[in-house]
Amino acid sequence: MTTATVDPQKAPSSEDRAALWLRLATIWHAFLVVAGLAGAFIVWQGADTAVWQKAVFGVLLLGLAGVSGTAVFHINQRRSRGRNLSLAVNYLGFLFALVGSMHQLNMFVGLDSLADTFARGLPFLALIFVGLWLGSQTERFEGDLIRQQQVRQVGRAIAILAGIIFLFAVGLLDGLATVPSALLEGWETAVFLSATVFFGLMVWGMWQQPVADIFRATNADSEMLNGYLFLSPNLLGFLIFFAGPLILSLYVSFTDSDAFSTPNFIGLENYAEIFNLDLEPLASADQLASEVLDVTQYDELNRFTIFGQSYIIGAQDRLFWTALGNTLQFVLLAVPLSVIPALFLANLLNSKVPGMRFFRAIYFLPSVAAVVGIALVWQWLYNATIGYINYGITLVIDLFNTIGLPLTDPQIRWLSEGNTALLAVIIMAAWQWIGFNTVLFLAGLQNIPRALYEAATVDGATPRQQFWKVTLPLLGPTTFFVVTTTVIQAMQVFEQVFIIMGTNPAGPSNSTLTIVLYLYQKGFQRFEQGYASAIAWVLFLLIFAATLVQFQRQRTSGSSYES
Amino acid sequence: MIRSYKAIQYTRNGLVYLVLTVFAFFMIFPFLYMLTTSFKEPKDTFRYPPRLLPRETLTTEMPGFDEPLPLYYGEVNGEQRELALVESNIRIGVFVDPANPGVELQLPLDNAEPKGGFTNTEQVVVNGEEVPVYLVTSEGQTQELALLSQTALGRFVDPNDPSVEILQNVRLSQPVEELTARPENYTDVIELQNMDRSLSNTILVTVLVVFGTLTTSVLGGYAFARLNFPGRNNLFVFYLGTIMIPFVVLVTPMYQLMVTIGWVDKVASLVIPWIFSAYGTFLMRQFFITIPKEIEEAALIDGANRLQILMRIFLPASTPALATLTTFTFLYAWNSFFWPLVVINTGNVDNHVLTLSLNVLRGRASDSPNLILAGAAIAILPPMIIYILGQRFFVESATSSGVKG
Amino acid sequence: MNLKRFWLFLIALLAMALLVACGGDAAEEPADEAADTADTTEAADTTEEVAEEPAAEEEMAEVQLRWRTRPDNQAEIDVYQSVSNDLDASLDNITLVYEPGGSESSSYQDVLKTELAAGTAPDVFWIPGTDIADFATRGLILDMRDLADATDSYSDADFYPGPMFHLTFNPETGNTGETLWGLPRDVSTFALYLNLDLLAESGAPDPRELAANGEWNWDSFIEVATAINALGDDIYGYGQNAWWGPYGYWINAAGGSFYNDDRTACGLDTAEALAGLEFEQRIYQEFNVAVPYGEDSEPPFLAGKVGMFQNGRWATPGARASANFNWDVVELPDGPAGPSNWLFWGAYVVNANTEHPEEAWALVQALTTADTQGKIAELGANVPSRVSQDALDAFLTFSPPANNQAFLNGLARNPATEGPLWAGSWPEFDAVMGPAVTAVLNGETSIDDFAATICNEANRTFNQ
Repeated sequence: MTTATVDPQKAPSSEDRAALWLRLATIWHAFLVVAGLAGAFIVWQGADTAVWQKAVFGVLLLGLAGVSGTAVFHINQRRSRGRNLSLAVNYLGFLFALVGSMHQLNMFVGLDSLADTFARGLPFLALIFVGLWLGSQTERFEGDLIRQQQVRQVGRAIAILAGIIFLFAVGLLDGLATVPSALLEGWETAVFLSATVFFGLMVWGMWQQPVADIFRATNADSEMLNGYLFLSPNLLGFLIFFAGPLILSLYVSFTDSDAFSTPNFIGLENYAEIFNLDLEPLASADQLASEVLDVTQYDELNRFTIFGQSYIIGAQDRLFWTALGNTLQFVLLAVPLSVIPALFLANLLNSKVPGMRFFRAIYFLPSVAAVVGIALVWQWLYNATIGYINYGITLVIDLFNTIGLPLTDPQIRWLSEGNTALLAVIIMAAWQWIGFNTVLFLAGLQNIPRALYEAATVDGATPRQQFWKVTLPLLGPTTFFVVTTTVIQAMQVFEQVFIIMGTNPAGPSNSTLTIVLYLYQKGFQRFEQGYASAIAWVLFLLIFAATLVQFQRQRTSGSSYES
Repeated sequence: MIRSYKAIQYTRNGLVYLVLTVFAFFMIFPFLYMLTTSFKEPKDTFRYPPRLLPRETLTTEMPGFDEPLPLYYGEVNGEQRELALVESNIRIGVFVDPANPGVELQLPLDNAEPKGGFTNTEQVVVNGEEVPVYLVTSEGQTQELALLSQTALGRFVDPNDPSVEILQNVRLSQPVEELTARPENYTDVIELQNMDRSLSNTILVTVLVVFGTLTTSVLGGYAFARLNFPGRNNLFVFYLGTIMIPFVVLVTPMYQLMVTIGWVDKVASLVIPWIFSAYGTFLMRQFFITIPKEIEEAALIDGANRLQILMRIFLPASTPALATLTTFTFLYAWNSFFWPLVVINTGNVDNHVLTLSLNVLRGRASDSPNLILAGAAIAILPPMIIYILGQRFFVESATSSGVKG
Repeated sequence: MNLKRFWLFLIALLAMALLVACGGDAAEEPADEAADTADTTEAADTTEEVAEEPAAEEEMAEVQLRWRTRPDNQAEIDVYQSVSNDLDASLDNITLVYEPGGSESSSYQDVLKTELAAGTAPDVFWIPGTDIADFATRGLILDMRDLADATDSYSDADFYPGPMFHLTFNPETGNTGETLWGLPRDVSTFALYLNLDLLAESGAPDPRELAANGEWNWDSFIEVATAINALGDDIYGYGQNAWWGPYGYWINAAGGSFYNDDRTACGLDTAEALAGLEFEQRIYQEFNVAVPYGEDSEPPFLAGKVGMFQNGRWATPGARASANFNWDVVELPDGPAGPSNWLFWGAYVVNANTEHPEEAWALVQALTTADTQGKIAELGANVPSRVSQDALDAFLTFSPPANNQAFLNGLARNPATEGPLWAGSWPEFDAVMGPAVTAVLNGETSIDDFAATICNEANRTFNQ
């Protein structure tokens, strides 16, 4: 994308060229109108295409025709909107054709064969990074420009060389060799490739400054085009891989989809089932549930006594409420356990004593490790009979016993008892999250101006007062960020439980059944995908509410000095 | 006064170091355990009390025995010696003289027979309980003794002096051990679960996802931060909102999408959908917004286009944000599990990533923690090594990340 | 400044790399040619297959079938791979691709169902007996009755009748013998793995001798367990794992069952079932002789801390590799209602959407011949599913454990057949029963409370 600077003397010729472009564009768009209409017709006539495919492609092609037609109209009127529309259509067409060509050339599916050969290129990939690293070591030669230049060149040379070898090692030549053969193989590839070229050329032509001048494009126009252009890869991918599935998932939650047969639309039934509760008074606190609840529909969820009157709560889907309870318990314990120690450690680390970087590094270690691997390690640590955690407790108890404090060894059955299983998972999760939160807090602490502490010291504030009156309020935004992200993470706890609980992820007496785990069981074990989608949306609303609450609190506390 | 201030300072620092060290120990221990166990022999993995370092029981060859014999410590005449276990499970009776029930004798049952035969054994009352009477031969003498209970002992012999022989409980004996290491666990696990292939796949996926995410996030973040276009603010709010949407909401429709475009079981399904990150876009936007507008305007007047501005001005200034995003994306891509679990066939080991291999491994090797933890080490160590090498980059990036919400 | 160039350069590099990915196959072949350098055995296999394919193609139109099992270890994968290669050679016009599935804990069946829904599942696959009904009533697996009737050499009677009852069950009429959902691959039973060293040290009578004398029952079991348990604080007399099989034995051996007689409703609140469960509760709460319920008993058993460990044949390879003591097996003790055990099984079934049902049926038969079963039985992890003395004799030769007969005794003496729930949903029933039983065994719920509530909830998992 070179910038065409307008030279007054050559202006006529460049204007001529621009006019030529416009004529070409008119023809091209007229062609697109015809092609779009014809394409839509053909698609609609297609016998073996599904209805939704007809609808999607039909609408796309009609849209192409419509926008192209409008563009022609505006281009002839020399309105800036014509150029914008033309650019939009051609750009989208270009992307579509490009992705289509890549698909035709098996570039996406072909990643598999890259995976086949990738291992051979690994050493060279590493070498590329070594080269890059070397090239960035210029600050070691502060002031010596020549030396800096040399370092940069050597680094770049290494990286480029390694890159070339890497490409050959993973089979660049073989990949290139397939392109001509793919072209010969079928006409689709050729169509897609030529469409890519045409659309691309039209975008390029319309983008030119002389063309823009003809339309008297303003800075705002240019900014808008640039804005959409820059956002487009992100936005399109986002729409295809996020927003589309999201809407689909909302729809699925209103159906009885079971992945195998045609889903029926059932409205809010899934949500009704989730929230179907029944509260009944009890004659006595230990009356049998079957006497008051309709046991063909409800299971006993809980019972409680208030003002001497006992009540029982029945739920149609008891497991959902169990899962919800477990998840909330997890959040309520895991979040403080990973945030408060982190705040404490960050304050310790914030002092200017040597060795702090070492400790900071160590605390951060668990955050870089895969949850799956971590859970496997902890599974063995938690083993009640031969595991290290109970062994450690036994050692401590023995120590107390020898100094005359008689304590009995609790022999905690971490993962096999309903009372402790969830706690075990919480401890592991908190252990993994502490380091990360510590580093975030440390960042927040280092942003607090020293002068504030100095002023506080002059005013005679004790360290404790300083912490409560200076540190904590000024850490507000960081705390908000840390707590919010940790809560969101904690609400979605799944992998930890799924791995550490082994063959029975729901744990003893369903004590580690979390919402996401329940959703997985419903959606991918029982294949009640409609119901599972409904659970997913309930979870989303919960997370949304939790975030909103924190956001409100953060806002009302109004302690942020940063913005 | 000054001295006492210094003393307080020293104790304070000492305390701080103590607390930090204790925490550091808890942070590091699981990794230590993982590493040491991954070098253990299968028979060394199940033992109580547990021992951190991998050990191997020493054995010795002795004439008359085909197999090497394990060595244990035993006390001979008040002296600790290394003895070979030549025979285990020798059935032993615990006898007392009915006349003198205070002294218990442990004697081999082979040298004893019940008085009156097995079916009609004579009984005697000792300490209020009826127990059988045996005729026990010991050192050439036969005694009438009451059998209290039975147990089993092992016969231990000094390999250097076979005449020295003792009987003692094998289970409670201390084996003679030396430190050892079994790196074969790693080769075994690589063979068992194709971990080398999963490793290279994971690197490939991670590299592609990181660069893809960086590219789209930088472009998108710049557009949101600096370019005015209709619908920008609404789009941005939409992006922000989606950060809160849990991935599980999308699993089902995403899987169906992958089926439609034929990416099920393909590496592409692990890469392409993940390079469009709302979080990354948000992060970059937050950072770009802090860069002064004046520089950019000057460049525009000089005729630079937007891409040039982005490349020449914004990127070099955003190393911390880029590092943060790289870190997050790297960890996310390397450690992701749920999506690969759903989208990659368990049978197709050629497209497994490490977390997936680990998940299969934990079932296939459920009785060999040494193998499972070797597998875990293969998955955990590479990011850890990268982290240690680039510690400054990682942590300082997280420190200076856009935690300014 | 240079940073920008590096980004540009790297992006270009990646674009090139993406180009490399072009046209998968062409790039793959040279990779396979170079397989001799550093590539794994897997790649070598691919080369073999690549080499085989063209030769086969010349003969006739080849049909390619994919099949899958749930292997527990590499040895199993190797055996199934070699079985696949042998059958590939012996079956005309069929090319086989064997894919080892995930293990139990990595959601083997769930992955299968996902793939069935997406249309990417293999043609023939193994599933556990409990899942047959779920797969069959969802229409995921093929009824091969017509194919079987047209095959002279085939007879239902060649296999153990327990599994065949379910494999020929017609959920629409409620009769058996009308369909054929698959053929059983193998069967297995429970035994008690004995730590002979602990047993000898405790001086307790040897269960193997008691069993030979007909004195091996719940009383003598408790006696032995108590004696071993007394050896130390960290020693346990007995251990089992927490799933339906182990506690099911105690219920069955007391004369109870999970269901009523025709398996259409919950049977957990019968006096017999409760008696069995109560005895098991006493093992944990009163006699206190067992590894805490829910803890995996295998690690402490292999650490030499458990006297008697209840598990199936599949625990044998682990004991061979890791046990540092003398061990053997003995059959489960007789309960108040006489001997009992489980007959565990799984079956090869055919994908309902397979394009080649006839070839798939041929493959299912070939996978369950006496010859194939012999090869798999050599692994020692399970017992052949064909009623054949030769196969059983071969199984007996494979030791340790010395007392292999214990597994066969379990098979011969009144085992309850692992079974799907045709009138309801087994996974949901299991999800209700498991936590409730756990609560009883952990002493959190009394037997009376359990009896009062369990069937209310469990009956809702049956079809109305």
